[in-house]
Amino acid sequence: MSSRRSRSRQSSSSRITEEQINDLVSKLQTILPEARIRSNDRVSAAKVLQETCNYIKSLHREADDLSERLSELLATTDMSSSQAAIIRSLLMQ
Amino acid sequence: MVISNLEGEIASKEGERKRKRKGEVRPSQSKWRLDSEQKTYSSKLLEALRCVRAGAPAEPSRTRAVREAANRALAMAARGQTRWSRAILSSRTLKLTAAKRRRAAASRLKRSGGASQEKKRPPAIQRKARVLGKLVPGCRQLSFPKLLEETSDYIAALEMQVRAMSALSEILSSIGSGSGAPPPA
Repeated sequence: MSSRRSRSRQSSSSRITEEQINDLVSKLQTILPEARIRSNDRVSAAKVLQETCNYIKSLHREADDLSERLSELLATTDMSSSQAAIIRSLLMQ
Repeated sequence: MVISNLEGEIASKEGERKRKRKGEVRPSQSKWRLDSEQKTYSSKLLEALRCVRAGAPAEPSRTRAVREAANRALAMAARGQTRWSRAILSSRTLKLTAAKRRRAAASRLKRSGGASQEKKRPPAIQRKARVLGKLVPGCRQLSFPKLLEETSDYIAALEMQVRAMSALSEILSSIGSGSGAPPPA
């Protein structure tokens, strides 16, 4: 049963040609920060996907750290009196 | 900045795609880099954070509440055009933590038994694509092209979220240190 399921998954994905996969993956590569991709030609699709996963995980971690920092700041900052100042600073960036 | 050069390439390719597929609206990924978008998001986030603060939760859940507020605001900024954003908005906290526990248990079982058989059949790309599908909300069962499309948009949105949250924490910390100007009377 499970082999049938995985075979059908493979047959539906084989309708997408390898060329299409490489094309899509190379587009994805342009989204990734350049520091992660050494040379633009010889990077395999699997490597780009791996880098993408790593990048998303690092963005999640950054967001978690920032959430913690914001959480602490929320507790200690008197936001009611400085509301206007905060919004002004946000809009002036 | 390198990203701005590629933006035009991505936008032009998106234009081609729009002409080929008639009724389909493709999400524009370059909007996440707009300053106006980030400012709108920051304001919404600030409002949401005020609600979190009013709820006065204790420490571990406050950080989680902040993260969830940030994610919900981000998903709303997508205006229903992407799968990841709809998935974030339709999921609730309890479901998320229960699902995470189930997933953790399932992945532990996979790793311990039968892992050698699993690795031989699907090629590396399919394996990585599956991992990617788990990272982007709501994208486990998507086809490869759709998954990459959602991933690109999700990454651009996450980058904006990080930029906005950094800026906001800078502002809040500078105000907290007492250097903020008093509000106008």
